[in-house]
Amino acid sequence: MLRARMRRRLGLAVLLMLSAALRCRSASPPGKPVLIGCRSPEKETFTCWWEPGFNGGLPTRHRLFYEKEGSEEVHECPDYWSAGKNSCFFGKEQTSIWVEYSLTVVAFNALGNTSSDLFKIDDVMKIVKPYTPENVTVLVNDTANTPYLCVSWNHPPKVDTKSGWTTIKYELRVQKEDNKPEIFHPNKKNSFKVYNVDPGATYTVDMRCQLDQSSWSEWSTASVVKIPNYFQNEKPFWILVSIFSVIPLLATICIVVLKRKFVKQWLLPPVPGPKIRGVDVQLLKSGRAEDVINALIGNQNFPPAAAWMDQTEEYLLVSDSNDWLLTDPYISQKKKSLVIPAGVQLEIQCRTSAPAQSDCENAEVGKDGKVEPDHLAQTKESVLNVAAPSVSSGSKEAASGNAAGPTGYVDIQQHKGTQGAGPNAAQWDYSWVKEVNGETIFILKNEDAAAGLDVPGWEENTAADYSRVKEVNGDDVVLLQKHDSADSSCKKKEDRSAEWTNQKAKSRHGSDCGKGACLQIAGNGYVDSVPRFYVE
Amino acid sequence: MFQLKSWPQFVLLPLAAGVCAVWVGMVCLVFCSRLSGMKAASICGNAQAECHFLSLANLFDRVIQHSARMHGISNDLHSEFELYFLPSKNQVSRVGRNCHTSNILTPNGKENAQRIEREELTEVIMKLLAAWRDPLWHFHQSVARNHRFNGYGSNKSLEMSDMAHELRKGVQKVVEKMQTLGVISNSVGGLASPEALLAADGSGWRFMKDSDLLYCFRRDSNKIQNYLKILKCRIVPEHGC
Repeated sequence: MLRARMRRRLGLAVLLMLSAALRCRSASPPGKPVLIGCRSPEKETFTCWWEPGFNGGLPTRHRLFYEKEGSEEVHECPDYWSAGKNSCFFGKEQTSIWVEYSLTVVAFNALGNTSSDLFKIDDVMKIVKPYTPENVTVLVNDTANTPYLCVSWNHPPKVDTKSGWTTIKYELRVQKEDNKPEIFHPNKKNSFKVYNVDPGATYTVDMRCQLDQSSWSEWSTASVVKIPNYFQNEKPFWILVSIFSVIPLLATICIVVLKRKFVKQWLLPPVPGPKIRGVDVQLLKSGRAEDVINALIGNQNFPPAAAWMDQTEEYLLVSDSNDWLLTDPYISQKKKSLVIPAGVQLEIQCRTSAPAQSDCENAEVGKDGKVEPDHLAQTKESVLNVAAPSVSSGSKEAASGNAAGPTGYVDIQQHKGTQGAGPNAAQWDYSWVKEVNGETIFILKNEDAAAGLDVPGWEENTAADYSRVKEVNGDDVVLLQKHDSADSSCKKKEDRSAEWTNQKAKSRHGSDCGKGACLQIAGNGYVDSVPRFYVE
Repeated sequence: MFQLKSWPQFVLLPLAAGVCAVWVGMVCLVFCSRLSGMKAASICGNAQAECHFLSLANLFDRVIQHSARMHGISNDLHSEFELYFLPSKNQVSRVGRNCHTSNILTPNGKENAQRIEREELTEVIMKLLAAWRDPLWHFHQSVARNHRFNGYGSNKSLEMSDMAHELRKGVQKVVEKMQTLGVISNSVGGLASPEALLAADGSGWRFMKDSDLLYCFRRDSNKIQNYLKILKCRIVPEHGC
């Protein structure tokens, strides 16, 4: 057992010694070098690097040989030192674009040489890779309220930008703290502004470039910037502001709380209940009628009704003699009566411009109390001009004022005492006033009614009292005519109407009426209060 | 309270009218400014020389853009072709690869391109474009006929052929413009120049493999793009060089 172990150990030792001796003694040809790659930074020159193999224990020299496309000539590397160790630099003279290169590196030592594999460059354009852009500087521009980054750079070294031989494209990378980086492609050659930056954040900016769709360069050294935070600068200011605004707020709240009732009263004043001046609520509650009435009405001052009635009465008063008007006590007792003594011609003022008397309606109270239009009595006194002095001024207004009721009637009264002329001086003739229009009073004449018309009995002769409208001429003249079945009356009226009416005499024949004299009134035969329809 | 209610009406109506008027005014202003701006850009009234130089730079920009796009399409097609049809790069193919435009002497670097005459550079561009007219059309036909590519490839080949044709016409216009301005001499041949015809006539392209054709055209389109850029910055350097 022991012997086997010792033998094994001895064998191992011998082997080790042998190998060491061999190594120390024999040099070998160099190992195979490997071409790593080539690079052209500006499309005018290029450099290739290789990795040497085992040198075989002897000093080894490496040489690079290349062939260009279309020529069998083998060239050797022009420059082994410019680009460092184990490299070959091809200058402008040796560089041809769009030409295929075939490169080989051969390692030489005393014992032999070893070639590397063939390395082909299809086109120098394919190995173009520029250097990083130079002098990449980032400045924070925080004017106004919007800060932005101003990035500036220079073109990568050794690149010709003037002759149009290369077109450089830049890429800018901005990363906010640990977020995803943002890529920009500046159009300008030397500067770029980044706007979407947040105050208080930290940004990392770097750049790279590319020549004519070549490979991208490495990223430049990153620049780190921090955007100043505005609110920090203004913090004390805002603290002061908030303090100063809080104090009055608190004071207001205290006041409101302490003076709740006052504030409530001021904001929401109570609505007063209803109250009538001079009226005692308690009195009303007792419920006695007289008290209530006195309370409600007692304070009012109504004008006496009688006085008012007297006034209206006075306005319509027509009399022949002033004495009668002044002294007659009857006047005050009458309501709305127009007293026309016999023999007084009633002249009604017409609004029409024609001053001819034929246009105007003249009514004359005859001796028997009838009102006849033809006779021109002693005095022509218009309704409006006659009467007491107190009346004259306001007569016009009264006349219009009396037209409150279109169906108001006018008392044509013959006074016994004053006239003594007519037998029926005491009789009162009632006529219906058709319409009082301004200064014109239309009197409806009633012939038959003169034969005994009493105040209470006026309803019997209502039919007879109604006059028919002869014609409505415009808006200021309504010609009325008393319609009678008798021809005689019609005839009379005919005469009158001839004077009264206008030349336009449209008349339809009535029952017995003569031509053009009498009216045929549609409907119920009576003129309505409102002259809506025209009598033809 | 009544006044408060009616107050907004009295204010809103004139306010709305004012806003409408302002908006209309602004729209008119914008239109007028745009019209005037467009006018200034499109019609050159005064100096003939200024007008021509500006438009020459514009023409150059357009053809450069066009050539860039054409190169992009050719690059895409070539990549796709390599991906699907040549998964393993074959060293043997290197030997056989020979573009039919190899006989055209082209400057292979910046210095060379800057050194040669403008007319020569222009001639090179024209020759290249002329030489690719037929091969591209043929390529498209073969792709469409044999269904070599998918629909994408077929569309791209047609587009590539059309763009080459358009670019050729565009460059011809630029050449004419330059000759009118006296920038280059009239010695530069047109489309029907003998050099162009010779280049186009070479039937070597018929025997080219599709992969080689695509490879060659990708390279040549890049050359055309770079030459145009160099030419522009030599002739009209003040506009974006």
